[in-house]
Amino acid sequence: MQTKDINEQIKWAQINNDVLRSLENPRMAYWVAVGICVAMIACAVIGVGYVYTTGQGTLDLYWPDMWGTWIGTFIFWIGMSHSGTLLSAILHIVHADWRKPIYRFAEAMTTFSLMTAGLFPIIHLGRMWNLYWVIPYASDRGIWPNFRSPLVWDAFAIFTYLTSSALFLYIGMVPDLAICRDNARGWRKKLYTVLSLGWAGTDRQWRNFRKTYLLMACFLIPLAVSVHSIVSSDFAMSIMPGWHVTTFPPYFVAGALYSGCAAIITLFIILRYFFRFEEYMTIPILEKTCKLTFVIAMAWTYLNAIEFATVWYGPDQVDKELLINKFTGPYSPYFWAMLFFGSVMPFTLAFEKLRRHIPTMFVVSLFLNVGMWLERWMIVSPTLSLSYEPFAWKVVWPSIVQWAVVFGSFGWFGLLFLVFVKVFPSVSMYEVKEMVYHRRRAVVDDNAKALHRRSSDPQPAAEMPGA
Amino acid sequence: MSFKNILEDWARYRRTREDGGFHVYEHKWGMAIDLNKCIGCNACSVACYAENNLAVVGPERFAKNQVMHWMRIERYWDEPQLAQAVPASQYQENGGSFLPMLCQQCMAATCEPVCPVAATYHTPDGLNAQVYNRCVGSRYCSNNCPYRLRYFNWFSYYESSWPAPLHMQLNPDLTVRDKGVMEKCTFCVQRIRRAKDKAKMENRKLGDFEFQTACQQTCPTTAIVFGDLMDPETQVSKLWAAHQVELGKAEQDKENPELRGYRVFEALNTDPKIMYMERVREV
Amino acid sequence: MSKHRIMGLFSDFEQAFAAIAEIRAHQIPGVSVDDVTLKSPIEHPEIEEVLGERSSHVPKFTLMGATFGITFGFLFLASAQATFLVQPQGGKAVVPFPSNFVLTYEMLILFGVLFTLVSFLISARMLRRRDTLYSEMVSLDQVGVLLEVDEKNAQALKSLFQRHKVVDIREEVVR
Repeated sequence: MQTKDINEQIKWAQINNDVLRSLENPRMAYWVAVGICVAMIACAVIGVGYVYTTGQGTLDLYWPDMWGTWIGTFIFWIGMSHSGTLLSAILHIVHADWRKPIYRFAEAMTTFSLMTAGLFPIIHLGRMWNLYWVIPYASDRGIWPNFRSPLVWDAFAIFTYLTSSALFLYIGMVPDLAICRDNARGWRKKLYTVLSLGWAGTDRQWRNFRKTYLLMACFLIPLAVSVHSIVSSDFAMSIMPGWHVTTFPPYFVAGALYSGCAAIITLFIILRYFFRFEEYMTIPILEKTCKLTFVIAMAWTYLNAIEFATVWYGPDQVDKELLINKFTGPYSPYFWAMLFFGSVMPFTLAFEKLRRHIPTMFVVSLFLNVGMWLERWMIVSPTLSLSYEPFAWKVVWPSIVQWAVVFGSFGWFGLLFLVFVKVFPSVSMYEVKEMVYHRRRAVVDDNAKALHRRSSDPQPAAEMPGA
Repeated sequence: MSFKNILEDWARYRRTREDGGFHVYEHKWGMAIDLNKCIGCNACSVACYAENNLAVVGPERFAKNQVMHWMRIERYWDEPQLAQAVPASQYQENGGSFLPMLCQQCMAATCEPVCPVAATYHTPDGLNAQVYNRCVGSRYCSNNCPYRLRYFNWFSYYESSWPAPLHMQLNPDLTVRDKGVMEKCTFCVQRIRRAKDKAKMENRKLGDFEFQTACQQTCPTTAIVFGDLMDPETQVSKLWAAHQVELGKAEQDKENPELRGYRVFEALNTDPKIMYMERVREV
Repeated sequence: MSKHRIMGLFSDFEQAFAAIAEIRAHQIPGVSVDDVTLKSPIEHPEIEEVLGERSSHVPKFTLMGATFGITFGFLFLASAQATFLVQPQGGKAVVPFPSNFVLTYEMLILFGVLFTLVSFLISARMLRRRDTLYSEMVSLDQVGVLLEVDEKNAQALKSLFQRHKVVDIREEVVR
């Protein structure tokens, strides 16, 4: 049973070869995946086109539930984008080097999640062609957007986060792009030559690079927390029961980290299998990711329970009635499913045997994300359908058009990710080299032998720690 | 947007701040609706449809709750013990009550701060205005209204609601809204504007009942009283004073608790401008 | 007197550092360790002990960017809000604290990141045509030590490299 995060005897040349091999011309399975993603996107595009020409009513959105699954999916994608920040930035600052083989695709996931999420505020607008009015530009009429509105804060925050994540991903990739440039031919060589910005590996470049990466990581962490807090303030700043909750910012951030980690597990298993990255995306690293996911799942469960508890103990009758309605009313199957997938299923991550069993982890991580999607929908729709005004209580289920676009968004994300893994190295070569180099120097084996022996074990002859 | 502009606006803002508010109000249009008089006939609702070019959405869309009634009559069956006398009865005496709900034109409206493009704002008339041209249809305002009084154009209703020659009935004083735009009761602002313009041309103040909103005009029992709350001589102001309901408070303290006047959801601090007078019931 | 640019490629860090240690001990007259450029596949954690303290200007620009973000962000927003008095207020101030705090914070981060990026490109001297003495082996697993010396020192330097088991020596004469 492998316990080391990585085999430190791996040669650097082999790291280059293994990762660059993943960039070679793809096999049939890849093209099938691309085809499926394109088909999903086609569903979404047809759906959005229909809505654009006919009106938002084709979504079977209604008075009073005016947001439905699209806004829930928007928050889901923003949430998923926190994975890369967590893995890349936070774990970098605490020097957890087990992140090194896996953070590259996590950061890519961040950027593509944001690109997917950013589509939803556009397409859900009744008059989406006027979207640019939300941007603060100096109009000739002196009309600005309403800066008080959390939706304008969303625009600023998501733009900043998308720009920063994309730049962070790109800058972190520059030494790897230099490796690709040195090993490529044809159009790829031209592409990598431009993108690697003339990287030559000099000490000046490394020194400035390290500082830049650290500073950007330091910026990205508070940014990620603030972005999802701002997205949560779409709800928290309103007056609706079930939304006007002060724990929404930490609750949303915890949910975001949760769904991001679950998605990392899913993509980890997929990449490891298809690109034969077993040497780098090892089982111990998967275990560590699963443990992290479990911790975050418990944090999310606590915040969820706190929300229920404060409503239960508080005086607001409307809030209480809404909470009871969530558990027993028309949305209850989805609500209970969310609680099961979100709070009960992560306990599979607490058992080592299950953590090491890859098919189980794949299925579990998918269900955790289903739970998280349901959570976002259960935040949006029940409050709107069952709020203050009893005359306005009504539940209408989403139409096929809503589901088509939600479904298609996964295809869009998948396509972006598939293109990424074939054009850019999905494992960070230079960081894995560092990881291997550090561990070789630390002489892990000798330390283990010296320190982990029980007092009753026979001492091997002529062997002293540090010899 | 010059520097001079900024300075002038700042000076103006500072002056209004000292007035105890962010606006210099010319009027504060409000209503008092007597639920004792309301018989639930829905004439006000129909009048609103006619006056404001409201679309008739058709039975399928209405079943999906994609409704457009700016003025709606809510029915509540809130006294089950009375219903036992004559079972399955629809009559008001057996416990049903009617609540006409229209935009409360809140002084601290929850819909205003959340519109991303500033398509809804507070006028110096005290009205909550909806600017159709600016609305991008994010629907946050409707989601934030606790009364759920804002309605969205889910489709281009003009394509099907008024087949010729029904389009001749449309009121030329206001627009027909296209899809993607939010709308709500405006206290018949077109009538308010016409009356104000007339008064200004004739150089006089506006009188009480000089003009009426469509719902007030049609109500057969005169349950709806509309007027200027800033003018203490109007009937609506007198009714508010008689029932000891004041603007600017989240909770009214009344000397006589049997006074019937109340405002809906005023504890949410929306400061609505419609006072309802509760139905008198036999004990 | 022409200058020679000489790069020696070593198979690992130890040999390269040993060569640099000799240079630091002034084994070749007129050549100091500050002239050494190290080309490596990864950044070595103890690089500063070998090459000496060399500073990076990136943090200064980050601070500049963050400060610019705060001031520009707040002034832009406040002036937009102050000139748009018809905007919906909902009983709140014209230049409100919560909205502006959130938006200024985002501007701080945006400009901090952008300034950091630009200063990285400038400080690290990126976006230039790559050195002719660059070797692909550096991106693979070898470490390069590059020096520019006078013609008279060229041979001494090459022998120094050879003493430390250099794998390859590349030379370029600069007029």
